[in-house]
Amino acid sequence: MRIDLVLELLDIPGQLVKVLEPISGLGANLVTVIHKRDYKNDDGKVPVQLTLEGEREDLLNVITRFDDLGFSIIEMDGVVKKEKITTILFGHIVDQDLRDTMDRINDLKGVQIVAFDIKLNGEEKSTALINIEADVGKKQIIFDRIAEIAEEKELLVINEV
Amino acid sequence: MDECKVIIMGFGSVGQGVANALSMKKDLIKDKTGVNVKVVAAADSSSSAISQDGLDEELLVKTKKEEGKLSAYPEYGSDKNGADVLDAVEYDCLIEATPTNIVDAEPALSLTLKAFKQGKDVVTSNKGHLALKFKEVVDAAHEAGVEFKYEASVGGSMPIINFTRDTLSSCEIKSIKGILNGTTNYILSRMTAEGSDYEVILKESQELGIAETDPTQDVEGIDAACKTVILANSLLGIDATYSDVKVEGISNINSQAIELAKKDDYLIKLIAEISPDNLQVSPRLVKRGSSYDVSGTLNMATIKTDLADEVSVIGLGAGSLETASAMLTDLISILKYKN
Repeated sequence: MRIDLVLELLDIPGQLVKVLEPISGLGANLVTVIHKRDYKNDDGKVPVQLTLEGEREDLLNVITRFDDLGFSIIEMDGVVKKEKITTILFGHIVDQDLRDTMDRINDLKGVQIVAFDIKLNGEEKSTALINIEADVGKKQIIFDRIAEIAEEKELLVINEV
Repeated sequence: MDECKVIIMGFGSVGQGVANALSMKKDLIKDKTGVNVKVVAAADSSSSAISQDGLDEELLVKTKKEEGKLSAYPEYGSDKNGADVLDAVEYDCLIEATPTNIVDAEPALSLTLKAFKQGKDVVTSNKGHLALKFKEVVDAAHEAGVEFKYEASVGGSMPIINFTRDTLSSCEIKSIKGILNGTTNYILSRMTAEGSDYEVILKESQELGIAETDPTQDVEGIDAACKTVILANSLLGIDATYSDVKVEGISNINSQAIELAKKDDYLIKLIAEISPDNLQVSPRLVKRGSSYDVSGTLNMATIKTDLADEVSVIGLGAGSLETASAMLTDLISILKYKN
């Protein structure tokens, strides 16, 4: 069978080679690779498109290996695999160490804040809208982390339904 | 059974709505069930009107509106009130429409249990006893072998309890998410449409009679949390009570939060979530154009099932005749069942 994958790579030397290495080792064949370095996603990563051929089990092993190596698969057979999460925080966001808040979300594997929009209101509580991109299946981990931060810093969280 | 004698307990907006709706729909009920419904007593908080031969529904409403109390009802006015009314007259079904009390559930709890003991069916719009002692009340009805219906306690005219039980009876219910409070939905909708602040819209809502003088039950999510408990128990079989619900109201929502949400094509709604691992009422982001995007005082709920996937219902969550419609539907289904 064949699968089409789109992976996201950091724009640093050696990334493409790292992706291609495990494929043959795990019994799969590379049919196509499309890599355009001058096209970048919102967060500065470079998408690479792969078509692989092989036994179902071997292809699944390749996918698992990509995951282990930290390459996020954003599309599989045309289906987007990345999840976008939007949340609003309300409270003393800046005074309660904004950088720490962002770091603790970004520290989660496969999770990244891609936009942060804050409305300041003098000494009053402020409101921020956060857009997060995450690998599939990370939603609950993100919600849990945000809830933990919110409780500690007395912030109100408005999550997506 | 060719006649059903009812007592209406509680004669505020809902009780009067029931009297008006009965007066309008008597013939229809007779056609559908073959039963003639007769109001033998109606009671407000301090007095009542009682007649074994039946009372005139329109005159009951007129008396209450003009005189302020039912004891002024011509000839049959009485100072009896509360549980004494249930002993004063022969009846078949109690239509219980007293105000919700989330502290000790009274007087609804005592009235309902008394009616059960007397072997009478009960239709209620009350949330207090269901939110605090759901299992106790339902078990008592079961032991007494009587019918107990409470569609009107959640979502006013929006069908949800009977709809899910009867129409979705082939499905297992996985979760329910929805807007179960019309007042907060009205406030948030107007904040979104006008960009105004919470306090301004709340005050206007109070002037329009949409929000109560003391809006705590609505804006702090208490009302929605009561409904969460009722749906959890009745439709998902979760043995929960009011204190099991995580509750956050809308009083912290400002126009900035709404504006930020709008930029990303979201709306902020007070959402009740009922699932085996989460009982929660909180402000949430919903996509514009999604099934949660209902404005004004509308209520909605999305029921997630195993076979039918998601099914959504929308309807007016409050109002005199709207709530009465749900109570009459409950009464009709009891009459059909009994016959």
